[in-house]
Amino acid sequence: MSSPFPTTNAPLVCWSCHERTIGTHFCSSCGKMLQLPQQSDYFAMFEIPRKLKLEMGTLEQKFLQLSWKLHPDNFVNATAEEREISLKRSSELNDAYRTLRDPVARVEYLLSIEGMRKEGTTKQQAPANLLEEVFELNESLDELREARESGGDTGVLKLRLEAAEKNFQEKLTEVDEQLRASAREWDKNLEAKGDDASRQKVMAQLNELLNRRSYIRNLVVNVQKELL
Amino acid sequence: MARIVGIDLGTTNSLVAYVDPQTGEPKCIRGPSGITLCPSVVSLDLDGSIIVGAPAQRRLLTQPERTIYSVKRLMGRGPADVQSELKLFPFRIDPASKNVIRVQLGDKVFTPPEISSFILRELKNWAEAYFGETVDRAVITVPAYFNDAQRQATKDAGKLAGLEVLRLVNEPTAAALAYGLHEKRRGKVAVYDLGGGTFDISVLKLISTDEGDIYQVLSTNGDTHLGGDDIDNLLQAFVHEQILQEDRLDFSPHGELAQELRKELIVVKHKLSETEAVKLRFPLPNGKVYEHEFTRGALEALIRPVVDRTMVPVRKALADAQLKPKEIEEVVLVGGTTRTPLIRRTVQVHFDRKPHTELNPDEVVALGAAVQANILDRGVKDTLLLDVTPLSLGIETYGGAVAKIIPRNSTIPASAQELYTTGVDNQTGIDIHVLQGERELAKDCRSLARFTLRVPPASAGLPRVEVKFLIDANGILQVAAKDLRNGEEHTIEVQPSYGLNDADIEHMLEESIEYAEQDFAERQVIEARTEAESILTATTKALNNPQTAGLAGSERAKIDASIAALKEAVQGTDYKKIRQQIDDLNHATEHLAELLMNSAVQSALAGKNLAEV
Repeated sequence: MSSPFPTTNAPLVCWSCHERTIGTHFCSSCGKMLQLPQQSDYFAMFEIPRKLKLEMGTLEQKFLQLSWKLHPDNFVNATAEEREISLKRSSELNDAYRTLRDPVARVEYLLSIEGMRKEGTTKQQAPANLLEEVFELNESLDELREARESGGDTGVLKLRLEAAEKNFQEKLTEVDEQLRASAREWDKNLEAKGDDASRQKVMAQLNELLNRRSYIRNLVVNVQKELL
Repeated sequence: MARIVGIDLGTTNSLVAYVDPQTGEPKCIRGPSGITLCPSVVSLDLDGSIIVGAPAQRRLLTQPERTIYSVKRLMGRGPADVQSELKLFPFRIDPASKNVIRVQLGDKVFTPPEISSFILRELKNWAEAYFGETVDRAVITVPAYFNDAQRQATKDAGKLAGLEVLRLVNEPTAAALAYGLHEKRRGKVAVYDLGGGTFDISVLKLISTDEGDIYQVLSTNGDTHLGGDDIDNLLQAFVHEQILQEDRLDFSPHGELAQELRKELIVVKHKLSETEAVKLRFPLPNGKVYEHEFTRGALEALIRPVVDRTMVPVRKALADAQLKPKEIEEVVLVGGTTRTPLIRRTVQVHFDRKPHTELNPDEVVALGAAVQANILDRGVKDTLLLDVTPLSLGIETYGGAVAKIIPRNSTIPASAQELYTTGVDNQTGIDIHVLQGERELAKDCRSLARFTLRVPPASAGLPRVEVKFLIDANGILQVAAKDLRNGEEHTIEVQPSYGLNDADIEHMLEESIEYAEQDFAERQVIEARTEAESILTATTKALNNPQTAGLAGSERAKIDASIAALKEAVQGTDYKKIRQQIDDLNHATEHLAELLMNSAVQSALAGKNLAEV
């Protein structure tokens, strides 16, 4: 993306009046709802810069405002073409709001549109500095399962797992804090119009943290399942 | 533009409502018997005609093998799903049923959407008789927790009834809409909706904006097989067991008698919401009489498990909305079963708040559906509903696991794209299995559809097909594929795992002509003529009565003229004219009717016309 502040979409031709239009959602010439151009993204849809710190109240307001205009309920008596566009546009709006509202999904999405993260390529390897603890945890999980099968005492093992769960929960909180710090760095870099190298560096950092987070979260979920 | 009505297609009762254009208030339409509830019971008469509602309900006792109730429980389900229901419900499923259930009524078989369409057609008739014009578009409500197949089946039923279904609206959302309009409330609202066969809990946020009011559903949860029916089943099982123990009488072979007992027990259940104890006497075929005094306490002990089961979805819905019970500002009770005092107490304790019960719990969903119908007709002007999908949408991945692509409680319409390619050279098809549910393995989720993407033969990994899964505003799935190499788009014919395909529907539409109502106007003419006959007969009889000798000559002349005019109108096919002449004659014979009445009953009968005397 050439400009870090894409606030409007590139001009396109309106499907209805065939005029060139500069609107984001509605034709500047005839007022009809527009199809989103191919290169559009969720940030552009909300007409906000690609920052990671978002003002939730503003986001919600914009979401509700656009919902009023794009929702299929408006188009029950309209042409089949307009009904189709409304369905597409309102689903994109809802997808966008769902993604941007969630701080983790937001980072994932940003990295994917910036070309840093491809779907299905997230690493599920244990981060190096966690190896020892993960090894211990897996051992305890195995022991608990064995003890259950043989009808042995699970009390001590459960306590050990509960302690491990707490430990990993704390690590999760830590990662979330680091994510927030990196996100602030991204925003600062964006404002300062930092060079490409610094952008790439922050993105790599964010990507690494996301992988770490998803790994620890899976661990916590697995332990919780065993403890139920 | 013809009117759009709102229909609550319920497990036990169904209703039709509209928004009065003068007052802007939603109103339920009364049927021929003067009540708004149409029992969701369908019976096949010996001559092959279909009977719906209260008359069909009476036939549950006389012709149980030709009559069906609670068909909503079968909507969108496969024969394997309903085995447990068969133990408790007298559904006679055609053993030849494969993916689609076929129910036997007498010597014919019908699918659940067909049976539901008979109920919808009846309500359509009520509305047409009320408005005096054709009604062919409707908003129909469904339980919020209905899955894709159940929603699709409901939409099919509408189509078979000759209705264009403009929107399926979730029942608790509809109720919130009716309440919001009624009470002008804002803030976070929980709707607890326990009907005859389904339970829903929805958490909503009511927002006022410059443009108008937004009803945003934050989360929903429920159980599509939990309701008043389950309470009836528990009561019935309890009494069957008692009779078996005390009288050594096994009720299972006595289908008709079991129905009769069930009917009595439902009365007992209803009474126990008002009083503390009810006595039941029920004659048994062996000459003995079953006698028992039911107390509210005993009933509550019996049904507590059902009530407790509803609280599990309540907690889940609150957790998904990230709210604590005390953060809910209003609680609304919907559905006839919420009249049960134990339910009211349990809900009140959980939310620490007295729930709203101002609106009739039987009617509130239909009223909300009418409000939504009105919104759709005008295009959003001052109220917008933002609903969610109740279940996560997923696709089967390697090893039978499920990848969630649209999480539950996503605002709808919602969509997700997935990129597919081939794994081996010259592979021409990619199998896709779409599921709905929260579990991790495909076998534990609900299968919605399986289909094969066709790709031209090429080296492995070269084809790139983007598949778009979209849940529309009705909560129904649409799938489209796009070949990224040439940009070609295809819509995919998705064969539902449990449901009717287009050919089935087409076939049923043809068959339904057999049961189709006569043309609306034709029916109106017949009804008006019948009414004209009865008033003409009554008038002639009255004029021959010696008590009416005191009638003035001028009045007599007026009546004679009206009779002649009505007789002439009856010859024609203008039902409005016939109605007009009936009104004229009624008006002309007012004094005649009075003369006929005994002075003692005169005051009681004031305002009645001749045919009613």
